[in-house]
This record gives sequence, C-alpha cells and structure tokens, in this order.
Amino acid sequence: MNGEKFVTLKVNGKEVTVKEGTLILDAAREAGYEIPTFCYQENLSGVGSCRICFVEIEGQKKLQPSCITPVMADMNVRTDSAQVIAARGAMLEFVLTNHALDCPVCDKGGECELQNMVWKFGPRKGRFTEKKIRFHEKDYILSPVIVKNSNRCVHCMRCVRVCSEVVGKAVLGVIGREAHQEMTSFVRSYLDCDHDGMCIEVCPVGCFMRLPYRYKARHWDLKSAKTVCPYCATGCRMTIQERDGVVVRSIARLGSGFNGRMMCARGRFGYDFLNSKERLKTPLLKVGGVFKEVSWDKALGVIREKFTRADPKKVFGVASARLTNEELYLFQKLVRSVFNSPNLDSTSRWNENASAAFISAAGIPGRGTGIYGAMEADCVFIAGAQISDENPVTDYIVRYTTAAKRNSVIIASSRAMKLDSSSRMSIRHLPGRLGSLLNATALSLYMDYPERLEGTPGIDGIKGKTVEGLGQVSGVEVSDIKSLAGVLRGSASVSILAGVDFLRFREGILGLRLLGAILKTLGKQLEILPLLDRSNQRGAWDMGVHPLFGPGYGEVKEKGLGVDGMLERANEGASDAFYIIGEDILSMYPDRAFAARALSRAGFLVYQDMFMTETAQISDLVLPGASFAEKAGTFTNQEGRVQAAEPLLSPKGEAKTDLEIISAIGSSIAPGFTGADPQRVFEEIRGGLKTYEGIFPGLNDSNGVMVKGSGNTLKEFEEVKEAVSDLGKNTSYPYYLITGNHLFHSGRLSRRSEILRGLLMEPVIEISSILADELGVEDGSRVMVNGRESGAVFSVRVKKGTPKEVVFIPENFEKAPANRFFKRGETVARVNITVHSSF
Amino acid sequence: MSAGKYMEKKRECGIRDIFRRTFFIDFIKGLMVTLRYNLSKSVTVRYPDTEKWVPFPRYRGVHTLNRDEKGRELCVACELCARACPTKCITVVPMEDDTGRGIADRVAKVWKVDLVRCLFCGYCEDACPTFALRLGKDYERACTDVSCALLDREELLGPAEVPWSFDGGVVVGARFERGKGGIKVAADLSDEKSPWFERQ
Ligand code: SF4
Ligand code: SF4
Ligand code: SF4
Ligand code: SF4
Ligand code: SF4
Ligand code: FES
Repeated sequence: MNGEKFVTLKVNGKEVTVKEGTLILDAAREAGYEIPTFCYQENLSGVGSCRICFVEIEGQKKLQPSCITPVMADMNVRTDSAQVIAARGAMLEFVLTNHALDCPVCDKGGECELQNMVWKFGPRKGRFTEKKIRFHEKDYILSPVIVKNSNRCVHCMRCVRVCSEVVGKAVLGVIGREAHQEMTSFVRSYLDCDHDGMCIEVCPVGCFMRLPYRYKARHWDLKSAKTVCPYCATGCRMTIQERDGVVVRSIARLGSGFNGRMMCARGRFGYDFLNSKERLKTPLLKVGGVFKEVSWDKALGVIREKFTRADPKKVFGVASARLTNEELYLFQKLVRSVFNSPNLDSTSRWNENASAAFISAAGIPGRGTGIYGAMEADCVFIAGAQISDENPVTDYIVRYTTAAKRNSVIIASSRAMKLDSSSRMSIRHLPGRLGSLLNATALSLYMDYPERLEGTPGIDGIKGKTVEGLGQVSGVEVSDIKSLAGVLRGSASVSILAGVDFLRFREGILGLRLLGAILKTLGKQLEILPLLDRSNQRGAWDMGVHPLFGPGYGEVKEKGLGVDGMLERANEGASDAFYIIGEDILSMYPDRAFAARALSRAGFLVYQDMFMTETAQISDLVLPGASFAEKAGTFTNQEGRVQAAEPLLSPKGEAKTDLEIISAIGSSIAPGFTGADPQRVFEEIRGGLKTYEGIFPGLNDSNGVMVKGSGNTLKEFEEVKEAVSDLGKNTSYPYYLITGNHLFHSGRLSRRSEILRGLLMEPVIEISSILADELGVEDGSRVMVNGRESGAVFSVRVKKGTPKEVVFIPENFEKAPANRFFKRGETVARVNITVHSSF
Repeated sequence: MSAGKYMEKKRECGIRDIFRRTFFIDFIKGLMVTLRYNLSKSVTVRYPDTEKWVPFPRYRGVHTLNRDEKGRELCVACELCARACPTKCITVVPMEDDTGRGIADRVAKVWKVDLVRCLFCGYCEDACPTFALRLGKDYERACTDVSCALLDREELLGPAEVPWSFDGGVVVGARFERGKGGIKVAADLSDEKSPWFERQ
C-alpha cells in the first residue's frame, strides 16, 4: 500500500515477507509456525511479561520474546531450536511454581491455555519444593457475574489491559509486586463496572471466572451453536452452549466473528431468559376476558376467520426488529400479499417518516459500512448516540482502534458517556437540537468554502442563519462548533456514526444529510455507519418491513401506515385486526396512555412472542413464538453484515418458530403460501433483493458477508419536515427527559434474564453531577420524578459530564415505564425531580 | 483320513467292546469318580447359603464413592471419570457447596453410573484425582429389571459392605436373606474361611 515498506526475513529457514514493524510472532504465524503465548493478546498493547514466546535470533545471544520484538530485514529466526524448546519448558515450570494447579475444581479445566501449554511443551515434573504463595483460601466474588481465584494467575495482565484499553473502565489493577502481584479490583472490593466479562474471556487460566456458570459443566458436556446476539444491532457473533437443554453460557471466540472476544454484559450474560419458566408454551385465546389454552388448529382457524373478514385497509402488522431476515421477509409478504394491507412496521418507537428519512440520509440502501473500515478515517464523528451504553462493543472497537491509530474521535450527544474520555472532543447539545448543531457545523464549513459548496443540496436552508444563532439553539459554544468544523475540514476522510437519537428526535436528519453532502463535495471520503439498538433493525428495513418501502428499499404500490398511524386509526375505531410479533407496543410506544387506549380498540389483536408481555395481556390471541436460540436464519447488523445463525434448542412446549407461524397463517388463508424452510426463504430473498444477491452467509464466516447496494436511494423521503421542537421554558418541569437503553438492558427482552436483572434491579435515573450536588443526592439515593401526568420513584445514578438540565431514564423498566412520561407530538418530555424521602 | 475310513473303524466291534457294554464299565468308572469326590475333602464355596467370596483388593466391582477421615465427600465433581469412561456411562453434574460437605466447595449435584453399559474397565477409577471413586468388591447385580444397575450418589456413598480396610481374597461366612427388597447375601467378615484353592 501507499508508502508501506516490506521486509524479508527467515523463520526456521523459510523466507517470509511482511510489513515493516510486524512482530516476529505474527511473521512466524504467517509462515505457519506456532509460537505459544500468554500475555500477548491481539489488539492489546504488548507487555512481554510471560516470556513463553521466546525465539532465537541469529547473532543474538539471548532469546527474544517474539510478541514485542518487531522484525528486521534479513533476520534469521528459529522457533524450534533446542534452546527455545528448553526455555519454553523452563518458563512453564516457572509459572507453575506458584500456580494453584487445582484443575479438578477449576472451572477452566479442559479449556485452559496453561493446561494445554504444559501438556504440549511443559515439564512433566516440577523441581521447586518451596511452599506456594496463596493469596486467599476461597474464591472471592467480584461482581454478580465475576468470581476470582488469584492463586491461578499467570500474571499476563490481559485482564488489566483489556479493561482499560478495550472496555475503557480501568477498574482492575495490580496489587503487590513480582510473585505477590495480584490482578484485582481496588482492595478486592466489589466491582462497579460494566460487567461485560471481558476479563473473564481473555484470562487464559481459571482466575477470572463466570459466576453464573460456576461449577455447571465441563466444556465437553456442552452442545454449542453459533448465533448472533439478540440485543443491540452491533450484532456480535456469539456461541451459546447448553447442557441438558439448559443454556449455561454464551461466549465470544477469537476467529468466529468480527467481534473476536468482545461482547458486552447483555450478550455475555443475558442468555438465561432462554431458560425462563415463564416462556409461553401454548397458544392462548381470550374467552370472556381470560386466556384459555387452545390448539394451533383452533388458533389458526380464528386468525383465518378474523383476518379474511377484516377490511384490508384496517389490518395492521408490526414485527419486531429482533426476528430473522427470513421471518421479517415472510412477514411483510404475509401482510402485503395475503392480508392485502400496506400497513406494517418494525418498531413502535419512532415514526416511519423519520426512519425513512434517516435510512436515506445515512445511505443505508447504498451499501454496507464495515466498522473497521470506518475506523480508518482521520476523523470519527459520533452523533446522536450514547454509544457506550447502546452499542457497547462498537464503543470498544472505536476505543481501541482509534487509540492505536490516533485519529480524532468527536462525540456529539446530550449525555455524557464512557467514550468521552477517549475522544478528542465531546460536545454536549440540548436534547433534540442535534440538527442545529449539525447545521451550524455545516454553515461554518460553508463560510470557509462558499464557492465550492454553492449548490450543495440543502445548503439554502441554512443560508440566512448564523453559526452563533444555531449554536445558541443547540446549546453549544460557538468555539466548539468551530473546532468541530476545523477537524472535519482538516480530515481527508470522515466517518459519521449516527445513532438512534436521530430517529427519536427527528431533527438532525436533514443536518446529517447536509453535512454529509458538504463533506462529499469537499472531496472527503465519507462513511456513515448507523448505530441501531435492535439486533436486526437493519435487516427489518432491508426486508421491507416498513410502510413506505418494500424489500430492498423498492417502491410499494401503496404506502401504508406506521405504528403512529395504526394506533391513531385504532383509536378512532378503524382497526379490524392487528398482528404483532414481538413488539411490546404498550411498553415501548412513546405515549403509553395513548397506546393503551388505542390497542384496547384495535379489533382482533393477535400477539406473538416468547413471553406474556404487557401487550400480550391486552390481546385476544397469544401465539407462543421462539427465541433466537431456537431458529436457523440470518441477521443483518447495523453495518449491513449478514450473519447466519443455527438453532441450539427446539422451541419450548408447543411453541413454534416465528417463521413456522407466519407460514402457517399464510397457508391457512392462502394455500400455497411459502413454506417454513429458512433456506428456501433466504433463496427467495437472494433472488428478489439486489442487496442480498449472491450472498451466502455461512456459519463459519468469521466476518459475515456485507450487503450490497440496492440501487435505490429513497430520494423521495429527503424532504421530511424538520422543525426545531419547542423546548419551551417551563419552570415547574425544568429537566429534559431522554430515554434509550441501559447498558445492561435492551428493550424489555433483557428484563427476562435473571442474571441481567441481578446487575440492575430497580429503575434508575441518570442525572448530572451538578444536579446531584444541587439536590444533595448521590448514587443509590431515591428521587421522585414527575411528569405532567405521571410520576415514579427512581434510584439515582450520577453521571459526570452530562448537562444539568438533561436526565435519562432507560426504557427498560416495567416498574417505571419511561414511556409514561412521553406524550404524542412532543419530542422532548419534561420532568421535575424531587428527593424522595418517604421510607 | 477320509470320513469313510473313520466310520469303518467305529463299526468295528470286538470282544472287549461287548464286555464293556454288558457290565456297564463306563458307568461304574463315572460312579467311581463321584464316589472319590464324595469321600475327599470338599472345596465348594457354599454360596450363597453360608459362604461368600470376597475378592482381592484390585478387583473391579461396582463403583463406590468415598469420604475422607472427616467424613467429607472426596468427589470434587471434576467430571474426569465421566470423561475417561469409554462407554459414557457416568454422569456428573457439579455444584457449589461450601458447607463442608466435600473436601472442596465443588461437589457433585448428580453422580450416577449406568452399570448396564459399564465394562468394569476401571478407567474411571484411574482418572479420579482424589481417590473418591474406587471400583469396589461388590459383584452381585442380578435383578429382575435394570433399575438396580442405575446407581446414584447416595447409594454409592453409603457404607460399603466390605470396607477398604478389609483386604479380601478370602471366603467368609454369609447368610442368605430373602426380604421385601429382594434377596441378599450378607457377609460376616469376622468369619474368615479358606478360599477354595487352598482347600485341597
Ligand atoms: S487455571 Fe488451568 S492449570 Fe490452573 S488450575 Fe485451572 S485448569 Fe488447572
Ligand atoms: S487474572 Fe488472568 S488475565 Fe489477569 S493477569 Fe492473571 S492470568 Fe492474566
Ligand atoms: S448487546 Fe450489542 S454490543 Fe452487546 S453483545 Fe449484544 S450485539 Fe454485542
Ligand atoms: S469401569 Fe470403565 S466402563 Fe465402567 S464406568 Fe468406569 S470407565 Fe466406565
Ligand atoms: S469421582 Fe473422581 S473423577 Fe469422578 S467427578 Fe468425582 S472427583 Fe472427579
Ligand atoms: S506472549 Fe510474548 S512475552 Fe508473553
């Protein structure tokens, strides 16, 4: 590539040519020689502490650790000389001098790097007779998900490095020196961290261990299946494992997915909802106000009767963006060609016009955008997302890749986040005023290059404005806007990571489009990567589960209604039949009271899910669906990466996969409807959608397959109306309420996971440290939050760096639903907060 | 030799043969053997009525799970026995229990063996790092259904009829009992008798 130099060296006599600066270790691996390593971990800084990776270099007396020694031209490296082999054995013997070696009770036994290494290279007998150092007698618990045994530590420091360099928490450190050194939390206290278990995943031995998996099985007892995390749209590849029908572990393996070993707490510990006793097992029909178990035949019969009799215009369908591509595709086919209705959507949280405009502005129909490619840019601009909580693994990738490349990370958000500390600049704007910030930045760039940017689509909209004025509207200092514009101007390539706040507040989409157009006109290489919060949101859009466009972003004969419109019609009594899969509208629609009213008048309501959710309770027929662990199919993550998943279990009781149910409903109304074979359906998708043409995602594709361009642009949605919402001055409700997902939760699904609930039980509100000081509260204090129509008690979490007037309530808590505070038509909810004193 | 020749030889009947047949010589020869044994010392082990063979220490009989001198279970549920077993007839499910039930806080929640499939090869015993699992001296597994071949933790932990301190390789006195639970041959270890191979 440009300017990169290559060097040639010899490894065990074999010539290899690698990039300058490559480590000997990587060069040797490239040449096909295995070198054992402990402390070396891809993507982490090198420490060279364990010395197991010794190699012999001709001309150097001492052996060198290959994991920190870069290659030099004409080096002659030996990885297999007698000296190297003896040194390896000696290093292992040395490691074992203080190793507990209690493999029979160690949960790592059987999959332990130390065990494997000693078996392969190590001494069969140790010569040390001194007493071993013991840090403690019993394992100690570090968090609800982490248990630790320091007696087994090999001092590789992977845990400490991964925690600070990848996760960005730096809560682990080293106590003591030399053989007495222990990696742990500060004074071995209970960790208050992200609980993502990265330390567990990287620890080569049984030091950091999973508490929920403690003493459950040996790895050879487990049956595994490769699948995709069901929570956010980062779409981490994961392997779930079961013993005797109970899922006991979810792991991320090196080489099996783009995320390597990375997963967040949700992915790594949120699997246990699969084993929940509350899973629905039979179809339930409401008769006289109570649910009665019915057979599938009966259930399908009722559906056929209700849906064939309904007026197609009054039939509505909503399918969750957590289903597989196949299911979503078949769902839209069912609604459009069997129910003959144009009304379908994949989310109840945002309006269909907003999502169409966002899809178009972010160029989603254009092509896939890989995260690692996006991180190559000189400037990474993250806007409209609390990326650290919403898409934790994307946050990790941004953190460690940009730290290595030293490119500029700029964050624009209303809330503080963990990634702020890794950014060059963090801008805090008022909620819902991202548009003004982007426009101000665009304007600032325009003022620098008025001629070149003349005629850029959308530029006229900002011409009469001033940077100062827009800055004031967005609540951002002009100097910050100027420096943001400056960084963009100085970067040859820019990646914009655009989060769901664009959808939540709508304002901003035009700004995104304008800024994108300007950057392109200025000749910058631009990538836009959407950051989405439901595992298959992009897939749902690709499959055309949207009222305004069809599969592959193609045109539809007739534009339909999104959830907003559906509920409006239902509220007016103009709904005959409603088919919902997995989208708990009642707890997610941003106006709970209205949704409840509308759904109670929705005609015949069929709800299909794994659990008796709030929406299920008010529906007329409940169908038991299946979880991701019970399905074969494909998922498309936010980047456009299509990944295949295989089933681990079969659906619970009489439950069926959603594909089977959709197909059964289809064939009961229209005989000959597509069968429930995921492969056949995917073939149909491949045949019909340009984006999926020639895409064959396999289970062993470690990187999935990127979607292709659809050839459509959704140009017609460019002109979505954008109004700067009136935040108003309201002294009795002084705080702006934002919602979204908590770090440990995603929608309501994760609330069914006992482990994740153990991480965070009670409803929380995140407030700024300034406000906390003013109210005199701290982490864990209780406050009363009141909106105009409702109130609830929350536990406080203080966040440094969030503006005082912004508060955040996660959408995840059934006890205190955030959507109670919202009202249709208002983009920004307002609340007041008082200290809760009743005990 | 062809078959024909052999047949011819058989058909030969001389005077000796006639004699043998007339006076039941072969029969008397047989009776003499019986008589000789009747008069000699008996080596038969009177099992199950009054005697029972207790095998040598290295005998591989039915599994036993053992405790240490403090009464704690030795099994740490490492699952190595299950892994080593060539017929996959052992199932171990571990659990955590730090009340002192076992020598470690990892103990067996489930430990069961399916003797129907067991080869009594002893691999499991060899694999066990704590000597919790030892193939014992029990070899009486006859019953009318397979249930008696499915043994679980509680049964295996129960006191063995023949403790490890008793070396075996002897015949001991026994009592044949017929009870509600089936039949049983109760050994009386104090009543040691010589084994059959020493009874000549
Ligand atoms: S860490 Fe590995 S070597 Fe050490 S006790 Fe555990 S299994 Fe054995
Ligand atoms: S705890 Fe594990 S990862 Fe951390 S230094 Fe010790 S062995 Fe390495
Ligand atoms: S929730 Fe998102 S970031 Fe976390 S493991 Fe799942 S896909 Fe990855
Ligand atoms: S004796 Fe052999 S076959 Fe029987 S349980 Fe042990 S290992 Fe398995
Ligand atoms: S009997 Fe022995 S080998 Fe089997 S699980 Fe117990 S300790 Fe491990
Ligand atoms: S792997 Fe090279 S020194 Fe540890």
